[in-house]
Amino acid sequence: MARDYDHLFKLLIIGDSGVGKSSLLLRFADNTFSGSYITTIGVDFKIRTVNIDGQRIKLQIWDTAGQERFRTITSTYYRGTHGVIVVYDVTNGESFANVKRWLLEIEQNCDVVNKVLVGNKNDCPDRKVVLTEDAERFARTLNIILFETSAKDNLNVEEMFLCVTRLVLKSKSTGEQRKEKVLLAEVTRRKRKQDR
Amino acid sequence: MSDTNSRIEKKHKFLPAKILKNGSNNLYVKTVNKSVIVNIKPENAKEIVNSEGRITEGGCASKRYIARCYLQPKHVPIWYSETMILHIGSTKKKYFESIYYVKKLAPFRTNFFVKFTDLLKNRSYKYMMYATKQPSLRIKQADLKCKNGCGYYGNPDWGGYCSKCYRGTMEKDRHHRKSNSDQNRSPVAGFSKFEEKKRQQTDKKSKYLNFAPVFRKTSAAKDVGRPERHHESRHINPEMQKLELEYMSYIHLGKQVRDDFFRFVKFVNINLRNEVNTRPIEEVAAAAQKYYNFFTNRINTHEIYAKVEQDLKDHLIDFFEKFSMTLLYGILFCPHATNDEEKDLAIQRRIRQLSWVNAHHLDCCISETSMEVRDLVYAAITHLLGMDSVKAPQEKLSYVVRCCQSVVEVLQHCQGGPVSADEFLPALIFVVLKANPARLKSNILYVTRFCNDTRLMQGEGGYYFTNLCCAVSFIENLTAESLNMSEEEFQGYMTGTITSVSAWESALVACEGMHQLCEHLSQLKGLSERMDAVQDGTERLRESMEAFKKEINTKVVEIRESTPLIIKPRKVPISLDKQDSNTANLPSPLAPTVISTNTVSEHVEAVTIPITIDPVTDETENHTSVGHFYAQNLAAQELNLTDSKKGKLQLDITPCMPIDTLKQSQSNELLGYDTQSLDGFITPDEGSLLGLSNINYDIDLSDLSADNSAADELTPEKRKSPNFIVDPFSPLSAPCNIAQSPLIPSTATTSKTETKSDGFILPFKIEESNLLDTQENHSPINLPSPIKPHAPHYSGFSTQGVQIPSIPCNTGDYSSLNLLQQNENNQASSSSVADSQKEENKSNEKVVKVLGGVLDTFDKLF
Repeated sequence: MARDYDHLFKLLIIGDSGVGKSSLLLRFADNTFSGSYITTIGVDFKIRTVNIDGQRIKLQIWDTAGQERFRTITSTYYRGTHGVIVVYDVTNGESFANVKRWLLEIEQNCDVVNKVLVGNKNDCPDRKVVLTEDAERFARTLNIILFETSAKDNLNVEEMFLCVTRLVLKSKSTGEQRKEKVLLAEVTRRKRKQDR
Repeated sequence: MSDTNSRIEKKHKFLPAKILKNGSNNLYVKTVNKSVIVNIKPENAKEIVNSEGRITEGGCASKRYIARCYLQPKHVPIWYSETMILHIGSTKKKYFESIYYVKKLAPFRTNFFVKFTDLLKNRSYKYMMYATKQPSLRIKQADLKCKNGCGYYGNPDWGGYCSKCYRGTMEKDRHHRKSNSDQNRSPVAGFSKFEEKKRQQTDKKSKYLNFAPVFRKTSAAKDVGRPERHHESRHINPEMQKLELEYMSYIHLGKQVRDDFFRFVKFVNINLRNEVNTRPIEEVAAAAQKYYNFFTNRINTHEIYAKVEQDLKDHLIDFFEKFSMTLLYGILFCPHATNDEEKDLAIQRRIRQLSWVNAHHLDCCISETSMEVRDLVYAAITHLLGMDSVKAPQEKLSYVVRCCQSVVEVLQHCQGGPVSADEFLPALIFVVLKANPARLKSNILYVTRFCNDTRLMQGEGGYYFTNLCCAVSFIENLTAESLNMSEEEFQGYMTGTITSVSAWESALVACEGMHQLCEHLSQLKGLSERMDAVQDGTERLRESMEAFKKEINTKVVEIRESTPLIIKPRKVPISLDKQDSNTANLPSPLAPTVISTNTVSEHVEAVTIPITIDPVTDETENHTSVGHFYAQNLAAQELNLTDSKKGKLQLDITPCMPIDTLKQSQSNELLGYDTQSLDGFITPDEGSLLGLSNINYDIDLSDLSADNSAADELTPEKRKSPNFIVDPFSPLSAPCNIAQSPLIPSTATTSKTETKSDGFILPFKIEESNLLDTQENHSPINLPSPIKPHAPHYSGFSTQGVQIPSIPCNTGDYSSLNLLQQNENNQASSSSVADSQKEENKSNEKVVKVLGGVLDTFDKLF
């Protein structure tokens, strides 16, 4: 039996506690309208296979504990991570302020990681505190893509996850291309040596 | 001395061992890992007889003091009691030499493990071995003796006592502790109880884990640890056997694949074994990962494996990891060159210090008081403890996954709905704190080092294992801040000045009685719930019963209201006059009957002999009886009516008996008529016959129904009858001719037919009278009777055999019989009777229907 996927990516969801990481995950992995999800193992660990450009990509999404006191210990989660989703709550200014710290942590724990910034709970304009412009400006300075989502109303969730997947896929293919280039260079060098 | 030491070091490897006391005065040294047991005979120092041969199997020192017996123990006599360093891999002579040298060396302290770890915290165990050279560590023979001074040798496991003294002190200790805990439940005493409780728990759990209990508490559980050791030694072989069995299960892959696989496993085994001795563990781990990758590549690319399916390839890769890791478990798990064991002890101590932490401190919503939650937490703890019982890293991971899944279950039980990592991690920390698994750190390090990297970085196992690592590191770095409490409070808890009483502790520590009380309470609760349920059920049943009763009552009343009204008036019309009036009202055919009766009465005198050849006479004869029958009928009808009021069942039963009796009495006559009628109208005869005796009809009818030719069937019956002889020949011998002849009279004049029919009716009347007595129920079919005068059709039956079957088919019903009979009856007797009967029957049917409905409801209810 051949594998039922072409790529296997590990994504990490981080952010303060209560910003709706788990609900984002639930919405993405358990939504029945996109019947391609496989299983729901546990609740904080989800797998879903998506199809991008004809490639089957199995996404493993790891939820993390966002509490302040667990912040220092979450470094182990970053091992082998392909992409990170940093979530803040648009109705909670503090969670947005903490995004910087989360991003710093990512910098510290892993080198090449594709990130997206997600402002969750974007379903109630009255309670919105973090303005889109501010977040946009912040994201632009860091060269990160920003999404404003709502797990409750299923706004932008799918798009956001697919975007991360595309980023990872892109970086992976470029990485492979680079490897191939290196290999090619090696081969050509050897050939030249032989010629000499 | 140092010279000799270095010489020996160069030449040989050494093995730490421990001294065990034998039953006799002999001591024997038991080496760690290699299970070479050496007898020490201080008396006969010179007598070095190597009974078992040399000590083989090169190996390395292991830091673990607890022996693991990989081989069957061998007893080898040794020189001197002090010595604990043995030379391995030597011949007999060299062995002797080594012992000689060893004698000169400073021996290990018997309890070196305990002391050394304190002294040389940062040094490797290899170093520790050589550190024995230090004179400060020399022990005298006296040190080996029992601390009590009883003259026997002591044992470090038993606190330096001999077995007897140790038992005594333990006993005293226990007494002391008991009295202590009775007086004031100090946290220390409580803790020991907690430990004990936990041990009991693990004992319970060991049933589920098919492996020996793993829970080897360094201090408190030491006494438990001893017997396990031997148990484990016996378990090693089965484990390998199991692996080999699994290996054999890959036989279908072919010899090449298996050989290649095995060769590779061997290669890895040897390489890693060598590397462990020479390189730091991290490099060994890297090498192991390299081998995994290498094997994965090989299996995916090499031609040998070309035919193997992808599924099996994955299996093989897993199995490769399992196989080699199980083989190397002894040296790779908690290797001597690292301080894993110290970390184990540290984390264990730490968790013990934090035993006061409860779910509330961790902000997790585990309700400690609920029994179900507690059971689930116990399950999680069991799985976590089970991690130490297996050897392959992937198996360890699977235990972690199981543990975490039960934690998720706990959370789902406590809060309902999906569980997020925000809640999961604190819960896991809580479980780890309460479980305090043995060799936790070693296990985690072992898995991180030697589990296939890809498995650790992704998948469920990886995720939960990462969480476990986080939990452990959280516990290690736990501060007052992380528990949301002030520094003073935290310190107070840590030092034991503040004691908390949590539900968890009270369940585990406080007293067994409370726990049982809780359990009993919950049981009682369950029982009362069940009682309530039962009571509810009975109440409901009673209600439904009452409702049912009411329903029946109302129904009965309804029926009573509806039925008796109809029945009563019926009595009135039954009078003869009314019948007459009815007959008058009835269509023409009835009128002739009256006339016919008159004619019959005229004929009565003439017809004395019942059996005559002329059908007419027969008819007349019948008619004679008509008068009587009227009276009889009426009486019977009245009777029946009264019966009918009572109920239908009686009506049903009555018919059979009188018919039979009648038949017996009048069979001759009747049959005679039948035969005659056969000539003219066979069908009514049949009907009459059928109406007469039920028993015969069943058979006859079936026959009739089976055969279309009713005439043939009927004839035999008639043959039986004595009267038959006269007439029957005609239909039998020349059915067509004879059949035609009777037709002529019947068809010739319709009026005649009527009269004839009257004549025919009479015999049936006789029957009918009987029938009336009995079969009034079937009267509803009297209605069609006026139509029946179709008799002419039947008259033609003899020629047209086809028509016959239609009759027998109907005869299946009594009603059809009655139809035929009552055609004539109607003609002969008053239709009013029939009408009344009809009504009666209708009402009866109604009653029956209702009763049937009631019965049905009864059936449904019960």
